[in-house]
Amino acid sequence: MEIKDNPSPQGEIAGILIEFLEVAITSVVSLKGIYPPGTFERRKYMNVVVQRARHPQLREYIHSAVSGLLPFVQKGLVERVAVIFYNTDNIPIERFIFKLTVNQSFGSHVEESDLEFSLRSFLIKLSVSRPLTTVLPRDCKWEITAYFRALPQVSASKDAEMWIPTDTKQWQQPPLITPIKSMNSEPLGLQLYLEHPSPSELLSG
Amino acid sequence: MSLDSSNSKQRSINSTSSNNQSNTSNSKKRKSNQKTLGMAWGANSLSGSRPSFRSSPFSDFGSYMAVKNKKLQNQFDAQASNSSRSDSYTKPIFDGVSIFVDGFTIPSSQELRQYMLNYGGRFENYFSRHRVTHIICSNLPDSKIKNLRSFSSGLPVVKPMWILDSVAANKLLSWVPYQLNQLANNQPTLSSFFTPKSKPADEGAFTNPICEVKHETGLLCLKDASKDASFSEAGNSFEWRKQATEEHNKLMCENSNKTLIDEPSNRYSEEPKEVEVLEPTNLQEDDESLANNRHQSCPEQSSASVSSHCFDNRGIRGSPRSSVIGPSKQRHSTLKDPNFVENYFKNSRLHFIGTWRNRYRNRFPSLSNGWTKSTNSDVSAGTQKTPIIHIDMDCFFVSVVIRSHPELNDKPVAVCHSYNPKGTAEISSANYSARDYGIKAGMFVRDAKGLCPQLVILPYNFEAYEEVADKFYNILHKHCNRVQAVSCDEAFLDVTDLEGRDPQLLASAIRKEIYEATGCSASAGIAKNMLMARLATSTAKPNGQCYIHPERVDEYLDPLPLKALPGIGHVLAEKLKNKNVQTCGQLRLISKDSLQKDFGIKTGEMLWNYSRGVDNRLVGMIQESKSVGAEVNWGVRFRDFQHAQHFLLDLCKEVSLRLQGCGVQGRTFTLKIKKRRKDAGEPTKFMGCGDCENLSHSITVSIATDDIEVLQRITKQLFGSFHIDVKDIRGVGLQVSRLESADTSRQAPERNSLKSWLMSASESSKEQFDINSIAKECMGTDSEGKNMDGNSSVLHNASVENSVHGINKPSNGEGCSNQNSSVPPLCDLDMGVVESLPSELLSEINEIYGGKLFELITKRKVRGDNSSRSLCFIPPEPALEVEAETSHNSDPVSLSRPAVEMRDEQPILQELQTVPDSGARSNSVAISTAGLENNDLVPSSLSQLDTSVLQQLPEELRADIFEALPAHRIQETSAMGPKTDNERHPLGIKSAADNQPGSTGTGLSNNLWIGNPPLWVDKFKVSNLPILKFVADMYYKANSPESLSSILQCTLAESLHPLDSTCDAWNEAIHSFNELLMSYVKLKIVVDIEEIYVCFRLLRRLSTKSEFFLEVYNLTFPHLQASVDENYGGTLNIHRHN
Repeated sequence: MEIKDNPSPQGEIAGILIEFLEVAITSVVSLKGIYPPGTFERRKYMNVVVQRARHPQLREYIHSAVSGLLPFVQKGLVERVAVIFYNTDNIPIERFIFKLTVNQSFGSHVEESDLEFSLRSFLIKLSVSRPLTTVLPRDCKWEITAYFRALPQVSASKDAEMWIPTDTKQWQQPPLITPIKSMNSEPLGLQLYLEHPSPSELLSG
Repeated sequence: MSLDSSNSKQRSINSTSSNNQSNTSNSKKRKSNQKTLGMAWGANSLSGSRPSFRSSPFSDFGSYMAVKNKKLQNQFDAQASNSSRSDSYTKPIFDGVSIFVDGFTIPSSQELRQYMLNYGGRFENYFSRHRVTHIICSNLPDSKIKNLRSFSSGLPVVKPMWILDSVAANKLLSWVPYQLNQLANNQPTLSSFFTPKSKPADEGAFTNPICEVKHETGLLCLKDASKDASFSEAGNSFEWRKQATEEHNKLMCENSNKTLIDEPSNRYSEEPKEVEVLEPTNLQEDDESLANNRHQSCPEQSSASVSSHCFDNRGIRGSPRSSVIGPSKQRHSTLKDPNFVENYFKNSRLHFIGTWRNRYRNRFPSLSNGWTKSTNSDVSAGTQKTPIIHIDMDCFFVSVVIRSHPELNDKPVAVCHSYNPKGTAEISSANYSARDYGIKAGMFVRDAKGLCPQLVILPYNFEAYEEVADKFYNILHKHCNRVQAVSCDEAFLDVTDLEGRDPQLLASAIRKEIYEATGCSASAGIAKNMLMARLATSTAKPNGQCYIHPERVDEYLDPLPLKALPGIGHVLAEKLKNKNVQTCGQLRLISKDSLQKDFGIKTGEMLWNYSRGVDNRLVGMIQESKSVGAEVNWGVRFRDFQHAQHFLLDLCKEVSLRLQGCGVQGRTFTLKIKKRRKDAGEPTKFMGCGDCENLSHSITVSIATDDIEVLQRITKQLFGSFHIDVKDIRGVGLQVSRLESADTSRQAPERNSLKSWLMSASESSKEQFDINSIAKECMGTDSEGKNMDGNSSVLHNASVENSVHGINKPSNGEGCSNQNSSVPPLCDLDMGVVESLPSELLSEINEIYGGKLFELITKRKVRGDNSSRSLCFIPPEPALEVEAETSHNSDPVSLSRPAVEMRDEQPILQELQTVPDSGARSNSVAISTAGLENNDLVPSSLSQLDTSVLQQLPEELRADIFEALPAHRIQETSAMGPKTDNERHPLGIKSAADNQPGSTGTGLSNNLWIGNPPLWVDKFKVSNLPILKFVADMYYKANSPESLSSILQCTLAESLHPLDSTCDAWNEAIHSFNELLMSYVKLKIVVDIEEIYVCFRLLRRLSTKSEFFLEVYNLTFPHLQASVDENYGGTLNIHRHN
């Protein structure tokens, strides 16, 4: 789909990355168990078992959110994509951060299979990362937040209009970071880590 | 309803004779109230539903019948004991036979009963599938014939003459010839195929009676089987233990050599002698396998199914073909032919051809390798006038078989794997007179018979093929030292060296000699290159030779149809035909460019060359096979998932053996499945695959393997991905590609893996067993040892049950030294483990080893020397807390985190080695690799990890997992990683590194991580600080030395001696190390926070062991956090607060 429309390496990478993010974010959501178990079904992606949302709305949300990032990822504007779980007070409890680095000057052709090997390890590690994460309280909400290096022009794309500034509050203290997986294979660098509020944050909050 | 013995005869006559009328009319009505009688067909016309009956003491008809049967039995027994006492001369030839007489027979059922009484058999008045072994009758109504299954429940239906003749011969004869004619002529049904069909060994021709045997019976082929005693069907429940007495690596080329060993426990073995006679001398005569019955508690229990198909080889030998198939609903058996795959390949011609090459290589190893290189030099010179002889046996598969039947010489003969009346087997090879009738390979026997009614069909004779092929090659090698074997019956000779001799004369001499030695003719083609020689042979055939003079090549090729050229098949020929090219002459008119354009570069060039008779291949260039695999597309019918799994495992075994036979390992595994098309019925070809969809899945792993366990694992996984109903499977094939030579793959990564494995393994040797885990461990040990036995990589997925099985078997079958799954050699045992076993287990194992184990242990204890050789004994396994609960404490989370909390470690290696029993108990080790669902799953060993997943993981991740495993397990992982050589000597390596001349360390630059090895390694190495030197050493031992985490991990595992020794340069060391770390953080912080995280987790752990690292840690930590904050806006959660 998009991959085909983007002949540039960055376009290809972005395509691969977006697709991967969609899967990975679904996995995160599934991992956190905020939906009933029946919400997800097993699918195979990059030769590993992943979860896929069965509910059309949920699937659509993830899909549209992530694919809305495509043009920005391609231009290297997106620095991080976060999956944020927050409580009823809009205070984040846990954040899964995907930190992206797309080499903008990379010139040669990229095959999905080249990246697949590395990306797959994210999915595998993610699937066993549950013990690293906190147990969420009831009535949690979650959202996908993208952190941009620069604000995109509103006119840039129709997709961009779907993105709105987040209402989620920020932590007052620097969070604790627990890395899950990192890869750096030219032209794509990707890191996945967890952020939790620091203990002092909890005290003050 | 009580019966006394005087009228019992009368009654039983009544009941049996009334069977026929009654069963049709009444059986349906009665069905509801006679569960136990479900099988008691036609038992009694008197009804259970009669009101009067209700007043009897029996609650229902079923219980009444049960009591009645019991009583009848008692009476029978009583009579039997009387009669045997009275007639002491009779011997119990019918032991184990229990007959049921159906309908009118001559002699009458009463006489038959008497015979059974006198000769130790049983006579059933009422039919029961569970008690009856044979149904005796003279005639059957049509309805029963049509519905044989429900009538006989799969039991043999035999004529009464069988009893009489057996009595006359005073031994139990095979019932097969006495099978009811009506049945014998019947078409084989699928279900009946499951039971053995065979023919008496003394008949030359094939009769193919279908017989339903109650149990799987082995087809025993006696050397002196002049009579048809080749069947032991009487006992029926013999349990044979099959033993492979051969080494694995020979298995491929030599037929495996099986012997049957009669279990002493066999209650019903009435002909043990037959068993012993069993071809003990002939090694080739291998596969009288068959009876694969696990012992059944009750002999009447009918069980499934082997079909054995006897081929008559010289009237003596049988090569049974067994196949397991299909669910037979009436039988509740879980049994199948466990050796189907093996037997299949034993009887497959394709397999013979396929594996022949290995045999050849083994026979002529030097010949096939030695000269290839030397010939390369004179390539250009040679091609000009090199005479090549291509020699090919004439219809090899037929002529070998008929050489012992001279009367068949001029008759049309074909070889075929089986002969059944339906004629749905395929002809494999036909001789020339048969070919004159238009008979071709691949044709159905039925069609062939249509073309040529007098066609003689013969079975394969594999050992004769081998024998002839060997002779054939012996002759070739005698005459010429450049022989390229194409197949078992076809070869190229390069006779350039033999300049003095006319190649034509040589060819005729060779042919003559072949004929004299083997009795089979060969044809030869002589030409300037291999292509032309081959073409010449095709002209020369049969039994001739042809020389194509170099100048007459064009002349020869011009009219040649394209299809005659090797490499041009249907498709290509068809394409060319569309271009109006049908002969070589026409092909020559097309330019090379346009050929290459149309057919691709390679094919185009080939066409161009071949049409000109150009062939640059050299004799002796053996093409390495690109893939190794095995495929079974015949006789594949699965009844359930388990059955299919079992089959897959066998297939893996076969493939693994083939890989080992070829000395290669592969990375890509492709499982091919033929799935019956939805609308496809049973195929015309008997047990064939019919109309199928071909499905395939493949997996590529990062490390080549030939290990059976890995193969099985991968195959299972692949199989799972098909999501297919096993009943629809008609063929299964496993292909291994991306082959690497086993040698290189074993050697290459040695440096990285082995040393570090061994080093770290030694460290863990102090760990003691948690008593809870002992049982598990010891099982593990057993299979571990087993694996090492064959030098295959050690990676077992043996579940506890499996291992238990493994351990029990030897102990049961004690005395059978050659058990298939034999115990590992003593030297392979992990003594540390062994010694820690509970005493009962220990003594059991000791028993298996005939007491040698204790000796060894004593010896070990006495031997005080702590030389590094003790490392060769695999260090004891560390404790694994089996309870998952404990893992909560130890934070079971991440793969990347070395979750092994080793405490109580004692730094002195020797101590550990010698006194393993007193070692401190280690604390729990909890690792979680976690299945998707499982929160804290603790794989206590690699065996619980999915290897193929592991193998697909990126290098670092895999390293992480290994890291997280108890250190000793790493030994196993070396199988997944590169194969290693267990004999390596870790201490030696270490000392070599230690001997570096020391000098003072100097200031460290910022680019510490540049270079290979990185700058710091050299700096540290030459430093006079032991701790730094130590770390530098670790660089060489680490698994992936480019990452600091790996080095630290190694350090952690290695730190056997106290790391801390106060010295003057303490501060300097700390400073240097700090600098190293900061430099690393700087390097990695942006791109790989994970690595940094792992490093500092490790460092933290080191800091609990060593002052040095504690100080380094404390010094570096703030810098780290600052750096992380700068880049990520947070702090690393090293201490794990959540």
